[in-house]
Amino acid sequence: MSRDSLLDSHLRKRTVSQPERDLSTSEAECHSLPKPSQTWFKWDIERAEWNILIVSTMLKLLLYPAYRSTDFEVHRNWLAITHTLPISKWYYDTTSEWTLDYPPFFAYFEKLLSIPAYFVDSRIVDLNNLNYGGWSVIAYQRTTVILTELVLGAVLIRFIRGAIDPPTQRIISASIFLHPGFLIVDHMHFQYNGFLSGILLWSIYMARQGNKLASGILFAVLLNFKHIYMYLAPAYFIYLLRSFCMTPSGQPEIKNFVSLANAVIGVFLASFGPFILMGQIPQVLSRLFPFTRGLNHAYWAPNFWALVTAADRVLLFIANRTGLKISINESGVASTSRGLVGDTIFAIIPNVKPIHTFIITLAFQLVVLVKLWRNPTYKSFLTALTLCGYTSFLFGWHVHEKAVLLFLVPLSLLATERHAYFRTFVICSVAGVFGLFPLIFTPGESIIKVLYSICWFALVYVPLYRQVYEYPRSLVFVVMDILEKVYLAGFPFLLVLTTLIPAYTNRRVNQKVDDSSRMDFLPLMMTSVYCAIGIVWGYIRLLFVYLNEEKTYQGQLSTIR
Amino acid sequence: MHKRGIRAWIIPLLVFTSTLVKFCISLGSYSGHSTPPMYGDYEAQRHWMELTLHLPFRLWYSYDLQYWGLDYPPLTAYVSWICGVIAHWINPTWVALDASRGIETEGSKIFMRSTVVAWDMLVYVPALLVFSRVWHGNRSGRTQELALLTLLFHPALLLIDFGHFQYNSVMLGFTVLAMNFFATGQDLAGAAFFTLSLGFKQMALYYAPGIGSYLLARCVFLGIPGPGFKHFTRLAITTISCFMVLFLPFYLPPFAPSFMHILNPISRIFPFNRGLFEDKVANFWCASNVVLKWRERVSRSMLVKFSAGLTALGFLPSVGVMLNSGWRMRMSAASNVAEREQEDQEKQTPFLPLLPYALLTSSFSFFLFSFQVHEKTILVPLLPMTLLLSGAPVDSSVYAWGVLVNNIGVFSMWPLLKKDGLGFQYIALLILWNRIIGYNPLRLPSGTLVQLLSLVTYTAAIGLHVLEFFFNPPSRYPDIYPVLNVLISTPVFVLAWLWSIKCGVEVGWAIGGPGPASASPTSASTTGDSIGRRAGSVGLGAGEEGVVMEGSFRQKGGRAVSLGTSQVNRRKKVGVKSRMGEEWM
Repeated sequence: MSRDSLLDSHLRKRTVSQPERDLSTSEAECHSLPKPSQTWFKWDIERAEWNILIVSTMLKLLLYPAYRSTDFEVHRNWLAITHTLPISKWYYDTTSEWTLDYPPFFAYFEKLLSIPAYFVDSRIVDLNNLNYGGWSVIAYQRTTVILTELVLGAVLIRFIRGAIDPPTQRIISASIFLHPGFLIVDHMHFQYNGFLSGILLWSIYMARQGNKLASGILFAVLLNFKHIYMYLAPAYFIYLLRSFCMTPSGQPEIKNFVSLANAVIGVFLASFGPFILMGQIPQVLSRLFPFTRGLNHAYWAPNFWALVTAADRVLLFIANRTGLKISINESGVASTSRGLVGDTIFAIIPNVKPIHTFIITLAFQLVVLVKLWRNPTYKSFLTALTLCGYTSFLFGWHVHEKAVLLFLVPLSLLATERHAYFRTFVICSVAGVFGLFPLIFTPGESIIKVLYSICWFALVYVPLYRQVYEYPRSLVFVVMDILEKVYLAGFPFLLVLTTLIPAYTNRRVNQKVDDSSRMDFLPLMMTSVYCAIGIVWGYIRLLFVYLNEEKTYQGQLSTIR
Repeated sequence: MHKRGIRAWIIPLLVFTSTLVKFCISLGSYSGHSTPPMYGDYEAQRHWMELTLHLPFRLWYSYDLQYWGLDYPPLTAYVSWICGVIAHWINPTWVALDASRGIETEGSKIFMRSTVVAWDMLVYVPALLVFSRVWHGNRSGRTQELALLTLLFHPALLLIDFGHFQYNSVMLGFTVLAMNFFATGQDLAGAAFFTLSLGFKQMALYYAPGIGSYLLARCVFLGIPGPGFKHFTRLAITTISCFMVLFLPFYLPPFAPSFMHILNPISRIFPFNRGLFEDKVANFWCASNVVLKWRERVSRSMLVKFSAGLTALGFLPSVGVMLNSGWRMRMSAASNVAEREQEDQEKQTPFLPLLPYALLTSSFSFFLFSFQVHEKTILVPLLPMTLLLSGAPVDSSVYAWGVLVNNIGVFSMWPLLKKDGLGFQYIALLILWNRIIGYNPLRLPSGTLVQLLSLVTYTAAIGLHVLEFFFNPPSRYPDIYPVLNVLISTPVFVLAWLWSIKCGVEVGWAIGGPGPASASPTSASTTGDSIGRRAGSVGLGAGEEGVVMEGSFRQKGGRAVSLGTSQVNRRKKVGVKSRMGEEWM
């Protein structure tokens, strides 16, 4: 595109967006009226949307025979538990090692799914039929993932309809629906993140439409499906308290507060009620919050602690080389060589306790929350929400790499606000998705995850890039821009390295040259550290942008009150 | 998509996504998965890598024939050898002689699957890219992209090559390359590539009458005796020397014991001692066998003669039309010598549009009537069918026939795919392909034969699937479902064959009119209007009367052509647009 037409499109955007804004705000008000019940059940799907749905579903259908992790068996076991046992034994059963450790709504959800499962093949819900891998169970469970993901699709379509700039929102919606994270974690690895993110986005959508009560209720429901969403709870708490339970001038709105409190308590009662009656709450909580795990997950999630752990390894290496007299923690040395398994113990850096991670997380979240309290708009809420999830991912105790989806999904909604957001989105998405790659390690599926992610990236990046492009304004920005580009360009090399190292060692092992099992951990560590750099940088960017919001042109979402 | 500035990205993205889909299919099961002692086609191909890698040439066609002895032409053997060398370099146990039989490790599976994708990328995908440029050269970029989309996601080929496991795309790719060279007037290169196609898989013989008659018509067109004869000699020398080179190691003494050793591969490649048909295949013999029980009534040698005769009868019409067109063009062209010389330089062939129809007719006649046909062989007629379909607007009968034959072609392979465990892939690819080309049988031009046929066949096919899903076959007729499948598919194929003959005749007329008296395309180029009208109706598969206008036509009377086209294109755009689904993003 030439300069002229670029400018032209910018101008057009500015001029066109003015009346559109007014229109959309009035539309948003309309939506908050008691009208939704009519619009929700309308088949309001355009042809392009059907295309995306059908094509992506067929692709997922092709992935049925793909690699599946133990999470598949976890969910099968939960189907069996909820189907065969009475509710009083759900959280006590230990037939399989994969005990039920999600909140009650998810258990009810599994109960619901287990009913058709019984008719499809009764062996699916047989409690003692551990590791059942028949054709029927694969087809059934994979199909439930695809079907429940329709919640996500439906919500994303709603997002397009009331959007300020529908064509752009359509790309964002499509990018979330087709996110490689979902493909890797849900359709190969096996989980229900698409469905759960659907509920999250539904809640966010309600906030956008001004229906904050519904937003709060939906989030409470979500929390009862999967408690990892507690990472986002602080933002919800502050936002609803400030903007729903108080007037803009700061007067309390008692009626709103009571209705919200009642609704949320009602949701929790519906979920935990039976277990309160049976007096099983301590048991349920002990299942939900097992505090017996280490700082890092088996494969280090690409967060702050991955960098610290890597720094520790490097320091240990230097200490050993130079023979410096530093107090070296012997169990930490052992932890290094074990690499993958077990708790992480540092050799040089002082050890980290859960309370430390908790304090750091809270401190960073507080910064964000103060800003949200002062400026409780939709866009501010969305950013704060993203940052809350982000902070927990970066500094939390025993974080899974899969948790990256928690903030990538809301971050996508911000992608086209301005170039600063877009660049953050690009860096975080690339690093985050790449950080998910080690979940899938079988060669056939690895090719697919890489090809799919590249396709997705091209389809998202190319059309959005031009819309938000801004010239860097000073030398600092130019340097930053170049460094970021260099960082992004490093990913192909990282991919080649992480592919070649195991291939090389395999070859050596096959030819009985040596068996260097130490090398196994190297690609994982490289991936983790390299992605962590991008993710930490993305965090700094987003935090900075949030705290120093531009005054002149803020992006379209700022118009939503 | 175009609006968003992705235009330059569409073709790379198409190739990229099709590769993704191929790898996704590869995740599934394959022919003969964990069924010792013989396994299936997958093991055959792997075994060939093993034996070509470890044995000298003279043993290639004679080593342990009982266990998947090599029975494809030499090019397959060479390709296997290259794959074998790479496999040996990565992990020698994958191709260890004898010891690796039936190996089913994860790594070896990925390697085998990747080789198919790699050869496909090397031969078939480039062939299609060039095809969409050359054969749809005068159409819009969008149509070319759409043609590529249609061809890249062709479900039958994807299922067989990447699911069932074979290397058909190499054979088909060489044929498409040959067609591309014919379209640009480089007959010798085209003939050489067709020889490669034949040298990869003898199945390409199904195209031989079509290609042969085209080249012969070219010679006639150039004028016999004279330039035509010279051309004929050149073609003959090229083809024969290509074959000589391909078979070189099998008769030349240093490699082979004697010249007569050539009989060894030949007898392996053409096995006439097998049955009339294997399994259940949707052709004339198998379908009529339900009632007539051929094998009990007629002796084998009689059957061979029968089938040969019927096959020849089947493709004769297209050969006739082709030669007749060549002859008529020569007559009319002779009246304008100066222009003909100019055309010789540009190597244009007015009857080029007949080529895909001729290939379709001849391959269908082989499929329906010849000896020893597999259900997978439907891929051979499906290729020209899909090439024709690729540029056709949604409301044309070429489109309707093309999609119908493709869908039923995939359906006819259902028993095979079911046996391979590719049920999900079958459903997914059929829906995917029909969706992306925007097919809806209910929205075909109503009241036409093809719509009626489509609706009836689809209903029957879906009904059969439902029956099969819910009920086991009765013990008295264990084969009832495959037989019903054959009975549903065969009529469609027979009608498609007849349709292809009809189209061939119509196109033949449209090119030069029914008699030699009518004006030749070149002399008509002075009257821009008439050419424009023609060019408008043209393009591959634009209609039964379609004539392809090549790039050089455009250079000559280019402006007039494009002006004339616009009207007709406007009509087409409506169709194209709805096919593309307006916008993807």
